[in-house]
Amino acid sequence: MSWFTFTWQNFLFSFLALAFEGLPFVLVGSLISGAIAAFVPSRIITGVLPKNGLLATLASGLLGLCFPVCECGIVPVVRRLINKGLPVSCGVTFMLASPIVNPIVAFSTFAAFRGQAPWLNMSTRLVLGYFVAVVVGLTVRLFKPESILRKGAVKIPARKRLAFSISPLPDAAMNDAAMNGFEATFPQKIIAAVRMACDDFIDTAIFFMIGAAVAATFNTAVDQQVILPLALDPTLSTVSMMAIALVLTLCSTSDAFIAATFVSFPIFARMAFMVFGPMFDLKLFFLYSVVFKKRFVIGLGIGLFVLVGIICSRLLIYVYAGQAL
Amino acid sequence: MRAKLSNLINGITLIGVGAVLLDFFFTGRVDQYLHPQFRPWTLVAGVIFCVVGIVYAAAKTTAQCCIDGECVHQDVNSPVRTLVAFLVLFVPLAAGVALSKDGYDQHAVLNRGFVQDITKLPSRSSSPTAGTQNNQVIPPQALGADMDERASQPLPQDTPSLPAGPDVATNGGTGQANPAVPSPDEGSAQYLPKAADGNVALEVTDLLYAESEDSLRRMFADKTIEVIGQYLPGSDGKQFKLVRMFIVCCAADARPLAVPVAVSGPMTATEMGWVKVVGKATYTQKGDRAHVVLQADKVEPTDPPAEAMLY
Repeated sequence: MSWFTFTWQNFLFSFLALAFEGLPFVLVGSLISGAIAAFVPSRIITGVLPKNGLLATLASGLLGLCFPVCECGIVPVVRRLINKGLPVSCGVTFMLASPIVNPIVAFSTFAAFRGQAPWLNMSTRLVLGYFVAVVVGLTVRLFKPESILRKGAVKIPARKRLAFSISPLPDAAMNDAAMNGFEATFPQKIIAAVRMACDDFIDTAIFFMIGAAVAATFNTAVDQQVILPLALDPTLSTVSMMAIALVLTLCSTSDAFIAATFVSFPIFARMAFMVFGPMFDLKLFFLYSVVFKKRFVIGLGIGLFVLVGIICSRLLIYVYAGQAL
Repeated sequence: MRAKLSNLINGITLIGVGAVLLDFFFTGRVDQYLHPQFRPWTLVAGVIFCVVGIVYAAAKTTAQCCIDGECVHQDVNSPVRTLVAFLVLFVPLAAGVALSKDGYDQHAVLNRGFVQDITKLPSRSSSPTAGTQNNQVIPPQALGADMDERASQPLPQDTPSLPAGPDVATNGGTGQANPAVPSPDEGSAQYLPKAADGNVALEVTDLLYAESEDSLRRMFADKTIEVIGQYLPGSDGKQFKLVRMFIVCCAADARPLAVPVAVSGPMTATEMGWVKVVGKATYTQKGDRAHVVLQADKVEPTDPPAEAMLY
């Protein structure tokens, strides 16, 4: 049998399943984004974080506890928040951490690994996800926003609005006043929120569908047995699990159930799957490209792959020492 | 004019996406694609898509979609963006309504590979959020001490579990150590679901779970079993695989479960078509595990079950 066998029947079935599962989540993210744009003043967004840039980045990694948005819906939210004055480093930290460090994912991970050290796996996943997101966020602070953000995706005023100052900027404050002041009635705000949510959805969902199509092709046409023998080596197993996460493009709220099934792979490799997957996969490559420059997105993917790979294949072995997993 | 047209087409795109979701939900086709926990979301999302699509198309057009100076969208009225959105979002979904056969062919099954040890699969039933359970037809009570974590009621007969005997091949009852002594399995057997013709109606998952459960193997011994699954032809005419797909979230993560079926004579069935197999389960010890083969007395085409996927 060939390693690649494409049929439209299989492609359509897998593609539609991914679309039906993911589009509602993209919609939820877009609606939250639209609501933030119309109803949440910049001063609240920026005021909730510490003034200190380092502390703000650390705090951003925990925003998912209040905004439990999965990776499908996080991009429009982050784009909106950055446009509202959230520093890019905080936005990236939030974007990477939120799909993992949130109560829904914690719950699903615990449930999926029931009988397989659930507390350890759940806490390891959350701590590791938070740590990696903060490391990347702090690294992003070293770059100018203009070198990261895609041209036109986010408004970058002449003033250093997206630099590391947290205070709201005059233009944003003015816009908030226009939306939240006496000029706009509540129904007008609702309509504005809907319109913005719809445009966010269209921007995001186009890339989601492209990613789903690629994933559906890999899921159904490629012989999965080709990659399974890699499970025996710690490094190769970790790399291959991250590669599988890359192409499967699963939702973080449910990927733990998939990871738990790869029992032929060691637990640290499955952890790499659960940490890397929600932060970067084929679908997210396209979604991130809505906001960030391609060069940054590729660098982000490689950086995450290396960072998560090293941590999981080298350090987690000691965390799981003595566990029969 | 251009803005109005873009608004209208974008609105139609959103309504179209919503209509597809609602169509799949109300026709029941979504059942083939998603785990029950995700299905209500298609209804909710479908309604929301239709509502926001109407609002979007009908709302007064402005020069910018967002607040002045805060718009993050690139030229929302661009005909290219509008056309791409229509082609990428709506057309594939609409094509799916017409063209999708709501199932995989044998290439996808073979590419994914069969699950080797079913006990390692995640069980939604162990989740506190579990709403339904479709992976086994045997009630927990019948499993006795083997599944005591899930059993909520004691067995009707208050007999202790027999110590697990050596894992011998169970073929037509030969594995029973002493048929004269009633075992808890015989009492538990009353819980086995029966088909209309009196056969024990099992799922593929039950036969596979029994590979690692001695008590289940004893319970199935000597019983005429009826199992429904999809026909996957073997390399010769003497054996084929009875396949069911196990999903965690959606069909994209489906993993094939298969029971080998041995047939005595020639038979015809459609590849991946639904068949009902009536026969006896035999288990052969290989290493530390038993392996099932279903010895078929009869194989006949049948209608797909209400839930084509197991979860």
